[in-house]
Amino acid sequence: MNRITPNMMPPKIVCRDVWKIFGRAPRRIFKALASESMQHESMEGHIIAVRGVSFEVRTGETFVVMGLSGSGKSTLIRCISRITEPTHGEILVDGQDVLRMRPLELRELRRKRVSMVFQHFGLFPHRRVIDNVAYGLEVRGVPRPKRRERATEVLALVGLEGWEYHFPRQLSGGMQQRVGLARALAVDPDILLFDEPFSALDPLIRHDMQGELQRLQATLQKTSIFITHDFTEALKLGDKIAVMRHGQIVQVGTPQELVINPINDYVGAFVRDAPRGRVLTAQAVMVSCPLTPTSTDRPTISAQTYLDDLLPLMAAYGDPVAVTDDDGLTIGHVDRAGVLKALIRE
Amino acid sequence: MTTRSHSLPFAQPNFRLFLQALIWVGTAFGIGLLATTWPAVPRDFPEAWNLGLRDPLDAFQRWVVANRASHPVFAFGFTPLSSWIDHALRFFEQALLRPGWPALLLLFALLGYLAAGVRLSLFCAGSLLLAGLFGLWEPTMQTLALMLATLLLAILIGVPLGMAAAASDRLDRLMRPVLDAMQTIPAFVYLVPVMLLFGIARVPAVIATLIYALPPMIRLTNLGIRQSNQAAVEAAQSFGATRWQILRGVQLPLALPSILMGVNQTIMMALGMVVIAAMIGAGGLGREVLIALQRLNVGRALEAGLIIVCVAMLLDRLSAALTRIDFAAPAGTQRQDLLSGWVAGAVAARLSTERAYYFQAYGRLINATLLFLAFLLLDALIFQFGNFPETWRLGLREPANAVVIWARDNLYFVTGPLSDGIVIYLLNPSRDLLLNHLPWPAIILAVAALAYTSGGLRLALGSATGMALIGLLGMWTPAMETLSQVILMVLLTVAIAVPLGLLAAQSPRFSAVLRPILDLLQTIPAFVYLVPVIMLFNIGRVPGLIAAVLYALPPGIRLIQLGIETVPSVTVEAAESFGSSRWQTLIKVQIPQALPSIMLAINQIIVMVLAMVIIAGLVGGAGLGIEAVRGLARSETGRGIEAGLAIMILAIILDRITQAWAKSKP
Repeated sequence: MNRITPNMMPPKIVCRDVWKIFGRAPRRIFKALASESMQHESMEGHIIAVRGVSFEVRTGETFVVMGLSGSGKSTLIRCISRITEPTHGEILVDGQDVLRMRPLELRELRRKRVSMVFQHFGLFPHRRVIDNVAYGLEVRGVPRPKRRERATEVLALVGLEGWEYHFPRQLSGGMQQRVGLARALAVDPDILLFDEPFSALDPLIRHDMQGELQRLQATLQKTSIFITHDFTEALKLGDKIAVMRHGQIVQVGTPQELVINPINDYVGAFVRDAPRGRVLTAQAVMVSCPLTPTSTDRPTISAQTYLDDLLPLMAAYGDPVAVTDDDGLTIGHVDRAGVLKALIRE
Repeated sequence: MTTRSHSLPFAQPNFRLFLQALIWVGTAFGIGLLATTWPAVPRDFPEAWNLGLRDPLDAFQRWVVANRASHPVFAFGFTPLSSWIDHALRFFEQALLRPGWPALLLLFALLGYLAAGVRLSLFCAGSLLLAGLFGLWEPTMQTLALMLATLLLAILIGVPLGMAAAASDRLDRLMRPVLDAMQTIPAFVYLVPVMLLFGIARVPAVIATLIYALPPMIRLTNLGIRQSNQAAVEAAQSFGATRWQILRGVQLPLALPSILMGVNQTIMMALGMVVIAAMIGAGGLGREVLIALQRLNVGRALEAGLIIVCVAMLLDRLSAALTRIDFAAPAGTQRQDLLSGWVAGAVAARLSTERAYYFQAYGRLINATLLFLAFLLLDALIFQFGNFPETWRLGLREPANAVVIWARDNLYFVTGPLSDGIVIYLLNPSRDLLLNHLPWPAIILAVAALAYTSGGLRLALGSATGMALIGLLGMWTPAMETLSQVILMVLLTVAIAVPLGLLAAQSPRFSAVLRPILDLLQTIPAFVYLVPVIMLFNIGRVPGLIAAVLYALPPGIRLIQLGIETVPSVTVEAAESFGSSRWQTLIKVQIPQALPSIMLAINQIIVMVLAMVIIAGLVGGAGLGIEAVRGLARSETGRGIEAGLAIMILAIILDRITQAWAKSKP
């Protein structure tokens, strides 16, 4: 909980025991599974994509769902706005159960409150960039001049001024995804759903886009769910990360919690190659002490300082380095041995 | 009936093979036993079992004729429908015949130019000019009008149906066999009922053409929508678009190229019906061919045939250009040619970028339209060209007739014995086998056995039932006559198509020589080459046989060639890297891999031969064809429908058996 202030408001999105089973008779299979009267082997050609997933996302938080392909993460995000109809469960958005919404309410939810960005962009190849971006407003019935004005605005926000009257395929992959992002932002939703938005891009462009998203997120503060199979991306963007496997969430936590304390070998395998210095903060290696006034002759750091940023300081001034709180009082110390131990992969 | 539906409990291939052999031996034994023990006379299907459909059908026809004016089904159903279609047809005819002939030349030249440039433009104008010079201006326009009316109906009916089929898997499953049937059943089958319901004139011709030409429209609309970018559809969904918004704003625009491909296919199919539709009063070029056939006027048939080919090529190229239009082309990438700039360019220069877009993107079209309208105005006010001048004539008739008459008189030493040989050694024995040597249960058994080995028990039962039904319809004798001809025609065609196809796949040069000949054979209506064949071989079963073989050859050769050529080059290279000779590669690698495609070729050959065997009935070919033609010509509805049903059953059985056979190959 280091990047957001803990807030006492009710969570924005709550998923409780969400299931999605693909096949001819998913409900029957679900009931059989629930009453445990069926062996997992006899699925009769059914596939359980999402298996009793629960989580909460708070307002303004970026919740990353990370997993390998086939782990059910894309299905899960599609369940949230019911692009894919979940078999069972409860999905609350602002306390309202999406699964009980009537078609009209659902349509209103999709039109005004939830937008999605797709892996392969999902742009409309026959519409110009500006009309792609304006699409969400168009289906809402916003008149053309108004929606085009808004689209121009959002396109400027994602750095695509001057490309309004081009067609999507004239743009590079990165630019196309900027259009996808602009299209999602144009309707000014509370919630953004990202389905592996950057996985189809080149590594360099992907890096740019991640930065772009961080920048936008810093100002817009949208509640987001972000799907990815790239753990580095998850660490970079996520306030919280859920690791999914075989349709279940294996572990949920902040990046730091996952890195320090992976729950099993599966999570451990992802964590092993994580850039620990960019994930762990001073707080993780700090030796606490009673609140004391800080001496002024040595540099101090805050508990949220990343270890990577801490290293040059330690190299220059030697240890220990005092960790201070917001009021400038020392709350603990960090020493070389502690930092090195944290940086070494176990 | 996709693959063999029977699954044996024994997985060992040896045992399966053994079982199959057992079935065959058993069948052969059964057939032999039946053939020897069955009382010598009659071998024919018992006449007493005739269902007697003919009399009620004839009675129905009399009732229809008597009540056509008064009964509500006609007064409020078919008659107004007919009259709407007739209005549409008349409208198109007027639109094409009213402006002076140079205006039409200009119109087609402009269309050709817009579509593909100078060469197509010249071809379009040249074709029309040739039609005028042959004295076929009016029939050509009538045929074009028929095509347009059919196309309009096909779009009005086909696109919504395709959309519905794309939206509902159930409807799709229901519709699929119906569409298959519409394409496999020879057109003759529905000529009689259509004529009965819609009366005589050009409307039944439109309907009959429509039945044949509609399936690709529906299929390709369905396909286009189903294949439209799933991500785009999902994105539209995620923004809360309604189903209609998704269909109209996303799926239909994305399916447009596919739908336009459907337009192209529909036009081509409709053109294939030109002559047959003329039999129930379509008029136009088809009628010219029919008249030439009746009078055995080779030159006249050739002229009309050539124009049909020209019209087919012209419509094909123009409608194919539609599918290539890039509606999402960025402004500024439009082709720069004689039609760009001008008025639209000037207008575009004065408008803001956003509005100028349309004048830039569609500038050539706008300019062409303006040019055409200006010419129309000039024509109406000043020139008043009117009809194509009568004095401008160019004739192919005399030279063509002279050549064929010379050939008839001087090549008899070849054609005479050939014709006799075909009758004595091929046609008669095969007919005798089915009609005189084998009793009817043996034939049904043989067909069922064939169906079983290719498609399993269900197909076998279906085929046997179908065969029995033919007997019950009282069409056993003509059907066996037809079947014997079909078998012979198919064998002959395969015997020619396989080596030619293999050779064409091996030698690019041979393929290059063969291609234009096949193109011509495929586009020219079969009726046209029927005329010289009749002149050379006389009326009877032989010209029908030759025409059918010629008709079925091109697709057969093409499919076989394609099959060999699409064998992945990696496997061929692999074979060659082991030092296999060209012949070994062909026999051991290419042919086995091309087998499904070769089977498909045989299937296609059978369907085409069946379509032709009916037409052969027109020129003395005997069998079901002649029954159907009599039903049509003498308005003996009952007989026509019985023959039609028998043809349909035969067509479906043969199609299914060969299709199952093609699919069962790995």
